[in-house]
Amino acid sequence: MIEGKLVDLVPFEDDFATYFEQWMNEESWFRARVWERREPHPEDAVKKFIEKMEKNEHGALIGFQTKDGDPIGGVIWDHEWTRVRKVDAILFVGDMRYEGTDEALDGLLMLLRYVFETRGVHRVDAAALAFDEVRIEFYHRAGFSHEGTLRQHVRWDGDYVDLELFGLLEDEWPGYEQITAQLDLQPSGIEPKPKPEKKDEKKNGSGQQPG
Amino acid sequence: MFEGLLVDLVPYGKDFLDRENEWANAEASFWGSGGDRRVVSRAQTQARLQRWAEALESGHDTGVAFGIRAKDGTPLGFMGLTWVLPYHRLAMLGAKIGDPAYWSGGYGTDALLLVIDYAFDWLDMHKLWLTTTGFNRRVMRQMEKVGFTLESRARRETLADGQWHDGLFYGLLRTEWPGRDAKIEQLGLRVRAEG
Ligand SMILES: CC(C)(COP(=O)(O)OP(=O)(O)OC[C@H]1O[C@@H](n2cnc3c(N)ncnc32)[C@H](O)[C@@H]1OP(=O)(O)O)[C@@H](O)C(=O)NCCC(=O)NCCS
Repeated sequence: MIEGKLVDLVPFEDDFATYFEQWMNEESWFRARVWERREPHPEDAVKKFIEKMEKNEHGALIGFQTKDGDPIGGVIWDHEWTRVRKVDAILFVGDMRYEGTDEALDGLLMLLRYVFETRGVHRVDAAALAFDEVRIEFYHRAGFSHEGTLRQHVRWDGDYVDLELFGLLEDEWPGYEQITAQLDLQPSGIEPKPKPEKKDEKKNGSGQQPG
Repeated sequence: MFEGLLVDLVPYGKDFLDRENEWANAEASFWGSGGDRRVVSRAQTQARLQRWAEALESGHDTGVAFGIRAKDGTPLGFMGLTWVLPYHRLAMLGAKIGDPAYWSGGYGTDALLLVIDYAFDWLDMHKLWLTTTGFNRRVMRQMEKVGFTLESRARRETLADGQWHDGLFYGLLRTEWPGRDAKIEQLGLRVRAEG
């Protein structure tokens, strides 16, 4: 665990894995993962994604939760390019009650803290669909510069949408302590959700077929 | 497969693969990678080509590879779609001519016009894009000639010979593409090819 101001970074397992089956099918997931095809993610696909990220030598999927242990979503660093010390950063909010809150912003800041202050990267890349104002606002508050617009880049619900690109350089990152003090992060006061029901451990051998 | 004025696009077969190791160790690789200077053995190149073939076979690599072949049969290099996302109708382009003697002679642009027509007319792409570095003047000039728009500049994205350089993102929408014939006309390439 890495402890932050409003959230902690934790392994993406247990309750996170349970919630992920829902989260990975919601619009917010596809807003965060701009390159992905919009499609349903059955249990198996969700598991496979977690396993893939666990084996990923150039990235990781990390959970973030409130100080009370309420899972909010995930942060991903990926495509770490060692020669030029560059990495992609992705934030996704699973529990949509936290969308736009300082807890969610802290998730992004904790990711930046980790990649800059622990992994020693030189540059972080981030992207947002043009209409994803909450995400874009977060990038600005975290200190990213808007570097350009890839026109009509991504297909979204019947239209081509621009993709906004952002970058943050190591000498522009003031440090986690400084930026959180500057932003004066405040807890949202959202009630932790009840723990998810433990799934039956029942082994039904052959895979379940729908219907 | 596709006939240009100076070059043809052909399958990226043995003639080309046999040159890969030489090209991987040459100056072309520095430009193609945005600043890396690789020193690779034949075995390493072989292993890379093997992984590439497997990725294509498994569908993990969605790209389309062409060889650029001069009219006299000389294999010049690679031209292709390196990342195709059919659901976004978006394809990324990549190119590398191995021997510097063939740079700046119009070969790359001749091949590019062919692959653009291919991507729009056969694969029904909506947009083509590519990335390069802020010091690659040949590509920048090529983009200007062909009509791509500079859409984004990733600051200090890559390191080349001790200096940080920006990464450049270029895009071309199908609606902006007049077609290869019109482009050849506009750039006067037929005259240039015959002259
Ligand atoms: C990129 C590449 C495929 C382009 O092909 P090419 O045959 O060299 O391209 P063209 O000759 O059609 O166009 C290059 C243009 O740049 C111009 N040029 C060359 N050096 C230049 C310089 N220093 N400044 C400005 N323009 C320059 C050429 O004169 C030419 O323009 P012109 O037709 O108006 O004279 C080829 O150069 C190559 O493989 N380079 C090495 C690998 C590489 O850079 N790959 C791309 C990585 S994104």
